[in-house]
Amino acid sequence: MSDEKKPAKQPKEDADITFYHPELLEVPEDGSPPFLKGYRCMGCGQLDFPKLSTCPTCWGEQFDMVPLSRRGKLYSVTDIYIGQAGMETPYIFGYIDLPEDLRIFAQLEGEPQSYQCDEEVELTVGTIRINRDGLPITSYKFSKLVPA
Amino acid sequence: MKLLRDVFIAGVGETPFRRHKADFDVLGRMAALEALRQSNIDRPQMIQSAYVGNATNGTVVGQTILKQLGMCGHMPIINVESACSAGGMAVHCAVKDVSTGLVDLALAVGAENHSLYMQRGTAFAPAMSDIETMHGAVMTGKYALRAKRYMHETGATVEDLAMITVKNRRHAKHNPNAWFKGDISIEEVVNSRLVADPLTLQQCCGIADGAGAVVVGSREMMDKLGIAQPIRVRGSVVQSGPYHNQPRDITGDDITESCSAALYELSGIGPKEVDIIELHDAFTIAELLYYECMGLCGKGEGLQFLRDGQSTYGGQCVVSPRGGMLSYGHPIGASGVAQVAACVKQLRNQCDGYQVEPVPRVAMTHVTGGGLSGTEHAACSMHMLSRD
Ligand SMILES: [Zn+2]
Repeated sequence: MSDEKKPAKQPKEDADITFYHPELLEVPEDGSPPFLKGYRCMGCGQLDFPKLSTCPTCWGEQFDMVPLSRRGKLYSVTDIYIGQAGMETPYIFGYIDLPEDLRIFAQLEGEPQSYQCDEEVELTVGTIRINRDGLPITSYKFSKLVPA
Repeated sequence: MKLLRDVFIAGVGETPFRRHKADFDVLGRMAALEALRQSNIDRPQMIQSAYVGNATNGTVVGQTILKQLGMCGHMPIINVESACSAGGMAVHCAVKDVSTGLVDLALAVGAENHSLYMQRGTAFAPAMSDIETMHGAVMTGKYALRAKRYMHETGATVEDLAMITVKNRRHAKHNPNAWFKGDISIEEVVNSRLVADPLTLQQCCGIADGAGAVVVGSREMMDKLGIAQPIRVRGSVVQSGPYHNQPRDITGDDITESCSAALYELSGIGPKEVDIIELHDAFTIAELLYYECMGLCGKGEGLQFLRDGQSTYGGQCVVSPRGGMLSYGHPIGASGVAQVAACVKQLRNQCDGYQVEPVPRVAMTHVTGGGLSGTEHAACSMHMLSRD
């Protein structure tokens, strides 16, 4: 048996994440609009999101990052009233189909009952949940189109 | 999976499904003992292999259930997990053992206790390592997305969806093992608490505890045990869900469609010949979509099939004659085995008060399993059973 005792405080490395996830979402520091990062397999050309460790088609392990379209079509949407443990309700999620032939599952900003199937929506950044330390986790979400 | 020799069901067991203070192992033993006794088996050594389905109650669940029945030591006990498909998969494994000639008599058990372990007032979610879970996914919501799209494309209403609950609860009215049963109106279903728009509480299966068990064996074993009405397993199919991140039609279900097609081909029995089905009606919308996915009717005709009464007594195929998951609740590892048990009782004309007439000749079961992003379901297990 070791005599070593655990430190009373958790070391800082154990802090939970507050951003999900750098290889999925780019939020440029110069203030230009955020975008999702697709990955094109250098072996067979398959484009995927999220990033996979190996390409399921050719087992390639090298990818080119491709910025994905910021607008897509809302394939389906629902308002959640009984959600995951610890998540505040209601919240909205849906499937967004991008022109790159990719489907993204994401939360949507706004009020329940405000979205329709086949509506155009736009990428935004916001809080998706609260982490173990009680801090908000920021990630991609979608919202109504911002009028030009 | 091609059956290399004929496989039969000797006996089945199931506990009542509801909230139980008894843990999964107690429930599993109750169901197993009923199935073993019904199979005229009088000593534990006669069973040569066992498969035990469970999803959330920890490790070595099978050994925990079976040790008090004297079944540990002389045979392999293999624990099977694939979320809601675990029980169906356990039956498949037992059938495979007998079909290949590896054993002559095998046991499948599915058992689960959720209520002793789960926080009330929360919804099931896949593992937190899954990207959709991180973004707030819950199973109710994923089915709500299917419902929303189906309504968008077909003009179906929430009242249409509610008819599924009304029908299945009516089927269950006199079934002692069903939990939620009897008369409920469309209005009561529609006006119950909203869970995930458009799914209301009464359109979702309850979080229940329970167990089922099935004894399968060779033709010679049926004779040896003196089984009066052996039920033949005409086909058993397990598939994994295709993975991709491209758009897919969620008013269909790729894995249920391909699993059904494989089962029809394997069994030589077509969808129009199936008399009763227990399917994965965890939510109203699912049953409606599966009429189409299983080929009971054409694509886009599910709603009409329901409205015409084709899925209840007197119709083409009585769907959810035990009451389905909407009446039983859904202890996720138990349901797949309990479905088989319920179908065997129907084929044997043992369902006093809720027997389908005329007594069905062919029954089919179906459980999908697992919310895994990029798949419609991680797994699907289906069985075809017949009286002859
Ligand atoms: Zn590739």
